[in-house]
Amino acid sequence: MKITDFLKDRIFFYISYLFAAGIILLFMNVFHANFQLKIILGIIFLLMIIVNESWEFLRKRSFYNDIKNKLEDLDRKFLISEMTEYPDFAEGKFICDILRETNKSMCENIAVYRRNSAEFREFIEMWVHEIKLPVSSLLLMCHNNRSEISEKILEQLMRIDSCTDTVLYYARSENAEKDYIIKEISLQRAVSDIALKNREILLLHGVSLHTEGLDKNVLTDRKWLGFILGQFISNSIKFFSSEREPEIIISAEKFPDRIVLRYRDNGIGIPQSDIPYIFEKSFTGENGRLGTRSTGMGLYIVKNLCTRLGHKISVTSEKNNFTEFEITFDKNDFYKFE
Amino acid sequence: MSKIFIVEDDRAIREELMQLLKNSGYETETLTDFNEPSEKIISAAPDLILLDINLPGINGEMLLKEIRRRIDAPIIMVTSRNSAADEVLSLSYGADDYITKPYDPTILLLRISAVLKRSSKISPNCTYRGLAVDPAKGSLTSEKQEIILTKNEMIIFRFLLDRQGRIVTRDELMTALWDNNEFINDNALTVNISRLRAKLSEAGYEDAIETRKKQGYILK
Repeated sequence: MKITDFLKDRIFFYISYLFAAGIILLFMNVFHANFQLKIILGIIFLLMIIVNESWEFLRKRSFYNDIKNKLEDLDRKFLISEMTEYPDFAEGKFICDILRETNKSMCENIAVYRRNSAEFREFIEMWVHEIKLPVSSLLLMCHNNRSEISEKILEQLMRIDSCTDTVLYYARSENAEKDYIIKEISLQRAVSDIALKNREILLLHGVSLHTEGLDKNVLTDRKWLGFILGQFISNSIKFFSSEREPEIIISAEKFPDRIVLRYRDNGIGIPQSDIPYIFEKSFTGENGRLGTRSTGMGLYIVKNLCTRLGHKISVTSEKNNFTEFEITFDKNDFYKFE
Repeated sequence: MSKIFIVEDDRAIREELMQLLKNSGYETETLTDFNEPSEKIISAAPDLILLDINLPGINGEMLLKEIRRRIDAPIIMVTSRNSAADEVLSLSYGADDYITKPYDPTILLLRISAVLKRSSKISPNCTYRGLAVDPAKGSLTSEKQEIILTKNEMIIFRFLLDRQGRIVTRDELMTALWDNNEFINDNALTVNISRLRAKLSEAGYEDAIETRKKQGYILK
């Protein structure tokens, strides 16, 4: 709060004061008052005003400057009402009360949304759990009654399953609740589990799958890593090149402080201009418009899950040649609890 | 024949599951009424229990704990909840394996046979018509001769041997190979089987592996 702001604010008071002083002077002249009395009265009034206004200015300034500084330092501006000291003048008290009241009401409002979102998430999880039951029985029915049509139904069932998984992991990746357990898991096991799960579609597309150096353990959540690898595989299958025999190579390399898992396919690759955006929500890019429908959610969820698990993920690609994803697992003994 | 006890509240899944297991040569028993499930399970004396963790009005974890306390039969937990905590809990309560719905039937069968194999007191069948199977050395030996098999051929042979006299589908063989990190494709499987067949017939077992068109293979 600057002094000019304060003076400007008080201008009406000063004008009316001057006006009053003028009238008093006029009356005193009419009554032929003593000149010295006029001076003394004038000085008394002036001093009173200066003292009063300075006092007013100083306490207001200390209150408003305090708010302003704290607001600048605060990361979450809405906490300001908790941070300000309760002032001793009416106007400040009034402002402070308003701040506190609005903040309280906003907190209540947010709590409603938070509750709604948690409830929605619970519902989604329950729904996914429910939908898996008919999918399970259909899978079993197809298996028990093998025919040409059952193979086709099976393929569509796998699609339903992967769509519901996307919903589930989206709900999980967006929420702060802890849904993962970080344990030491074998990369070999994680990769062969996900390969087994996708074996029918991989074989159908004639994909040759190679692995290299997966005899390493990493600290991660098994299911989340499975989902991540599953997304890579389903992307690869969408974007294989018709010119080459499809191939996927999954390898791992150990460094002193980290383990790097590389997933590489020899598909059509990603245009350089799209690479910075592929982990963004709803981004489909050039490849997404190539016929197979893309939602642009898969890799966004993958990135989110990686961030929450504390892994780094990056991609390199060359158009019409290859795409390679790299996940870096930091070695951290802190997570190890035996 | 091993007896598998199915605890599953969804009727459609239960019936299909029984069908699946019967087709694979298991004896099955199940519950339709979930009053005092542990008594019924225990009195059936199964060799393996497939236990759904979410049952109406029953705490699946408690049921698991109780069965575990009273009998030795291996237990595979089945769930659709798919959360990290579930898995840790069931394994710590003594489940032998853990599978989430929707499970791939072939993988389920593979897990069941693996768990049964691990828990069975009788040693697995290690001879085939006078040939001793040595998986570590990768060979089939008799007094007169020795047949050397590659890793893939050994996996295929042992898988067929465990199911001798029954039709084994290509998908089952593929699953077994992929489960052992041998990610071979369809052609390679055909090649491996014909090589295995050639090796066996060279040693005098001409008709050991029979092909059933559109169904699979059978080890005689």
